[in-house]
Amino acid sequence: MGLKRPRMSMRSRGLILVGAALLVISIYFPWWGMKLIAAMYPEGLDLLVYPYKLEGQLDTINILNHYIGMREIHEGDFPEFQYIPYAVWGIAIGFAAAALTGSKGLGYVMFGLLAIGGIFGIYDMYHWLHTFGTQLDPQAPIQIDPFVPPVVGENQLANFTTYTGFKRGFYFLILGTVTVALGLWGDRLWNEKSSSAGSS
Amino acid sequence: MKLGKWYVPVALGVILGLVAGSIVSYIRPTPTTEGEQAVSGAFVPPGKKDEYYMFASGGHSGQVYVIGVPSLRRIRTIPVFSRDSATGYGWDEESKKMLGGYTWGDLHHPALSETDGEYDGRFLYVNDNANNRAAMIDLKTFTTKQILGPIPNIMGPHSAAFVTPNTEYFMMATRFSVPMGGKYASLDKYSKEYHGALSAQKIDQKTGKMKVAWQLKLPPWNYDLSDAGKKISGDWAFFTTYNTEEATELLEINASANETDYLVAINWKKAEKAVKDKKYEVINGVKVVDPTKVEGIAYLIPLPKSPHGVDVSPDGRWIVGSGKLDPTVTVYDFKKFIKAIEAEDFSGTEKGLPIVNFESVKEATVKVGLGPLHTQFGPDGYAYTTLFVESAVAKWKLGEWNVLDKVTVHYSPGHSSAAEGDTVTPDGKYLVALNKLSKDRHLSVGPSHPENMQLIDISGDKMKVINEAPIDPEPHYAQMVKADKIKPIRKYEKDEKRPHSVWKKEDVRIEREGNHVTVHGLAVRTRFYPDKIEVNEGDKVTIYLTNIDLDQDITHGFAINLYDIDVEVQPGETKKIEFVADKPGVYPFYCSNFCSALHQEMQGYLLVKPQK
Repeated sequence: MGLKRPRMSMRSRGLILVGAALLVISIYFPWWGMKLIAAMYPEGLDLLVYPYKLEGQLDTINILNHYIGMREIHEGDFPEFQYIPYAVWGIAIGFAAAALTGSKGLGYVMFGLLAIGGIFGIYDMYHWLHTFGTQLDPQAPIQIDPFVPPVVGENQLANFTTYTGFKRGFYFLILGTVTVALGLWGDRLWNEKSSSAGSS
Repeated sequence: MKLGKWYVPVALGVILGLVAGSIVSYIRPTPTTEGEQAVSGAFVPPGKKDEYYMFASGGHSGQVYVIGVPSLRRIRTIPVFSRDSATGYGWDEESKKMLGGYTWGDLHHPALSETDGEYDGRFLYVNDNANNRAAMIDLKTFTTKQILGPIPNIMGPHSAAFVTPNTEYFMMATRFSVPMGGKYASLDKYSKEYHGALSAQKIDQKTGKMKVAWQLKLPPWNYDLSDAGKKISGDWAFFTTYNTEEATELLEINASANETDYLVAINWKKAEKAVKDKKYEVINGVKVVDPTKVEGIAYLIPLPKSPHGVDVSPDGRWIVGSGKLDPTVTVYDFKKFIKAIEAEDFSGTEKGLPIVNFESVKEATVKVGLGPLHTQFGPDGYAYTTLFVESAVAKWKLGEWNVLDKVTVHYSPGHSSAAEGDTVTPDGKYLVALNKLSKDRHLSVGPSHPENMQLIDISGDKMKVINEAPIDPEPHYAQMVKADKIKPIRKYEKDEKRPHSVWKKEDVRIEREGNHVTVHGLAVRTRFYPDKIEVNEGDKVTIYLTNIDLDQDITHGFAINLYDIDVEVQPGETKKIEFVADKPGVYPFYCSNFCSALHQEMQGYLLVKPQK
């Protein structure tokens, strides 16, 4: 038996468990999306990115994109879809384990992984937008300058206005992250109280 | 002081003038003329949609017109019995096969499918008075899905069309009597060897498709119009006749001689039972019941002077017959009719069918005006009868039997169509008079005139004409249905299992088997795959073309120069095109329906190598 590690307070463990659940829930909602609006598409064309699939009027968007020589967007071209859900599940299970055992160390490790994953995710997003926007077929019927749509924002391309931004799944992700952070950070406060109460 | 006096009246005059002027200009914007009021009642602004669909027959155009009410804009033309290059109807294999070699039809009476006597927005049934056919339009796609016929034993099914209250049958009776089964008999044998017929088409509730179920052999008269009973009279159908004189020449005079012709009442449930009991003979492959041999199927009710329309009130109790050469409509009470046939209150028989005593079943004679043709209904017992000769519509009330109002229309209305007018719960509000003549009502286009539709506001005590629009020949009858009952699809679903469809350019192929070349191709903005088809002179060519643009309103055409081919493929649809490459040379094919910015580039070549 080594050193007796400090256990987290029940309140922290509860928050971390809730946060882990929110992370899992986020997988099943779109994280990011793009809406293309033009005069003849007043209802808009949607492209929704889930951690494991693409949804929306992908066929139509691909047909329209071929005019400017953009690569066709296909679900199979994104290897991330194969492992992102498992990574999120893994981190969530890690948090759940931390909550159940009360191990603060494990909680910090998982939070570190989550932070790395988040940074990688944003970079990955930008990478794909850059790839699709700049690797245009030089033989396309319509020649345009390479472009990179913003991760969040508005972009004008010919007759289309493109609105990009985070979707509901991403907000669950953020909420989950904030909840576990609150649990980990708040523990200093609550645990001091509870440990001092226990020692008296 | 003299100087002070002259400017007072001047100033007063100017002030009064200004006041009066501003009052007048203030009043002015409110609509004062009939025309201005009319526009406000029927105007549908840009971006807004009509409240009702009206399906009007296109008469000898062989088509159905889809019209929005109250705007009276023609939204679409649905080709049925005639080819239509605008939609490629009649060039692809499916529609070619349906048309069966006929190039036109005479489409008279559209009937919307019903559930419990209400339009249910599923299917539309129409008749072809020229070639003895019936057709079904699926209202999911607004396209013709079936043409049935020519149906044997009938000739000129004008006396159509109606569906029974739960769309069990689509029925048509013949305007012309001929020897049954396509046989020959000289005209002097008219009374004995010629027959009228009623043909009942059973409807498959899932697909909407019809098949001939049974027919009735009827006396050799002209069956003009018909209506299905409703509610209490739901098992019955009513037909008007003319030429009970059985004239075979100069019908204008000779068929107008009798004081009364007949309304024929048919109990279709009894006829159905007779077929079940095997009380029929088979003529030309069709089960034909002779109502003179099976009691309870057909009765005759005298109706004055060459009647035209017959219409059943929403509650099913009143049967309104219009004697076109008599300024009245005759109203019969269905309850009295049932009593009379139960009591065998007959005044005689003709051609073996019992004649119900006129006085026993007649409820009222309403003096509506000259040339009454057809009646439609509003809620609360109001009835609207078109007067062809008087060029007017008369409003009258069931139960009170008196004319309440009349409005002049331009000119000579045939049928009219009321909002949900042929259902058990009509809406009122709108009535469209389908006028046969337009004469001076629109900008002149020479001697051939359009017909004229006029929208009448029937919501108040007084009828008001509030809109008007020309239309190509020739709507006979129309039915008007609340727009939210119709639920069309916007495009065809991607169905990768559909035979002969291809959805990826890698799957596109041209295959040869002997002298038969088969192409599995696709169309997508803005290319054809393949865009080069090489064949030999004399080859039979089959092309399956799938439009993989799964985007609303992105229709692609496929036309081949000089090969007389033009087909349209809707988003997600697969069409089959077949022809013999009998002309050697180079023939471009191209998209004939403007699809996108590079539409002009959407082309390819059919190369037909000459035989040595």
